[in-house]
Amino acid sequence: MRLLRILGRVLALSVQRELAHRVNLTISVTMMVIDLAASVATLGLVFTQTATLAGWRPAEALALLGAFQLVTGLLNTFIEPNLAWFAEKVTGGRLDDTLLQPVPSFFMLSLGACQPLALPRVLLGGALLVWATVAGEGVTALGVAGCVALLAAGVVITWAVRVLLATLAFWAPGFEPSVLFSAFWQLGRYPVGVYHPVVRQLLTYVVPVAFVATFPAEALMRGGGGLGLGLGALGAGAALLALGAAGLAWRAGVRRYTGATS
Amino acid sequence: MRLLGGYVRRYFLQWLAWRSFALTLVANQAVTPLVGLAVWSTVLPERRLSDYFIALLFVRLLTSSYENHTFSEWVYQGGFCDDLLLPHPPVLVTLGENIAIRIWHIIIGLPIVAAVVLFAPPSLRWQDVALALPAVVLAAAIRFLFTYALALSAFWIERAHSVVGLGSTLIFLLGGEAAPIALLPDAVRPWAEALPFRAMLGFPAEIAAGELNGAAVGMGYLWQVIWLAVMVVAAQAVWRAGIRRYTVVGG
Repeated sequence: MRLLRILGRVLALSVQRELAHRVNLTISVTMMVIDLAASVATLGLVFTQTATLAGWRPAEALALLGAFQLVTGLLNTFIEPNLAWFAEKVTGGRLDDTLLQPVPSFFMLSLGACQPLALPRVLLGGALLVWATVAGEGVTALGVAGCVALLAAGVVITWAVRVLLATLAFWAPGFEPSVLFSAFWQLGRYPVGVYHPVVRQLLTYVVPVAFVATFPAEALMRGGGGLGLGLGALGAGAALLALGAAGLAWRAGVRRYTGATS
Repeated sequence: MRLLGGYVRRYFLQWLAWRSFALTLVANQAVTPLVGLAVWSTVLPERRLSDYFIALLFVRLLTSSYENHTFSEWVYQGGFCDDLLLPHPPVLVTLGENIAIRIWHIIIGLPIVAAVVLFAPPSLRWQDVALALPAVVLAAAIRFLFTYALALSAFWIERAHSVVGLGSTLIFLLGGEAAPIALLPDAVRPWAEALPFRAMLGFPAEIAAGELNGAAVGMGYLWQVIWLAVMVVAAQAVWRAGIRRYTVVGG
């Protein structure tokens, strides 16, 4: 509880700080809307040439894009500000302060700072999801529940995988996975079915963007039967597994860390 | 010319130290053409669009421009005032770094291109590729001038990254990356063919993939030359206006 209060306070402070620069905020939101419009337009172009993309109909692909944008917004708001360029923090000895604080370092270092400028993307993604739900046929309550559960699982998996990648810095300080991660992340905006089977496996098990967009959208639009439930259970299991692995790796990594300050 | 060569050499060596960063830049440059390749090969498997997207990947690596990072940041940090004192046009510094980064992009990008070629063997004809080479050079020049002109907005506002980002979005949508120009809806296609975004990216790839007949190639080259001239004038005008606004504190 105390941890949640601290993180809430951090968010409130960051929001206040950003609201002070209104022009900046307006430009950021405008850019985000343009970016999203470009993504929707691209999907529109694809569907002028075909009725289905790897078996996905327009409304379903729209739901997928919405889920992708929503989780990308959460990733950029709460996770990336902490873990991007993490290797520099390790080699620069900048973890000392946080490690000495009386809160679990795992949470403080992976969620302790945030970038609320990225939050509007969550709303825009959510709006796309609602649009897709209205446009799609046969969306059921069960499907919606499965989608929400899978989105939650997707966020947890994203967080855990990002932590796992960042902890590599404790062993290989020269390796910086941030930009490679973001390059792979971009692949999530289309159904994983369009990629080569090898890439599809990578996207499901290594950089799990399949859990972020493809599976939640599948549960939402086609989750009428048992599919939503099945996918939900799979997502929850994968989330727990990934989080456990991240926690263990973090503990081992921090033990290797030696401060650089006096 | 010798000066420019010197800057290219200097920045090439400097980027030698940042090659792991260059790798991540290349990965990000490569990802959109590869996504396009995957998506459009799924949509229209019979059109053999893989040739086009492999060529596009190559063009994109050769025309990558980061003036919002190199130039605008230099203005924001104040280091740019040193460049103003140099006994030659300061744009040579920016252009030198641009070319050095592009050379690194090709060095690092070749294995990626090779891997893609293994997965999806292209059937490019040598005459088409040769015909496309001058277009690549023109595209590289137009793209540099375009990005440079947008990055010059750093003289007025602090969000030059957003301005350049907007330009990139337009190139993505109308330059033949979101979809090959030939597949755009009829209402948009004539515009996309004439606007400078195709001249910066899609046009050379279209020639290389053998999708254009003689007249279309000539027309495309004509547009490229026109846009090159426009960009030269525009970049010079923005530079002249901006440099008068530039002030720097410190000493």
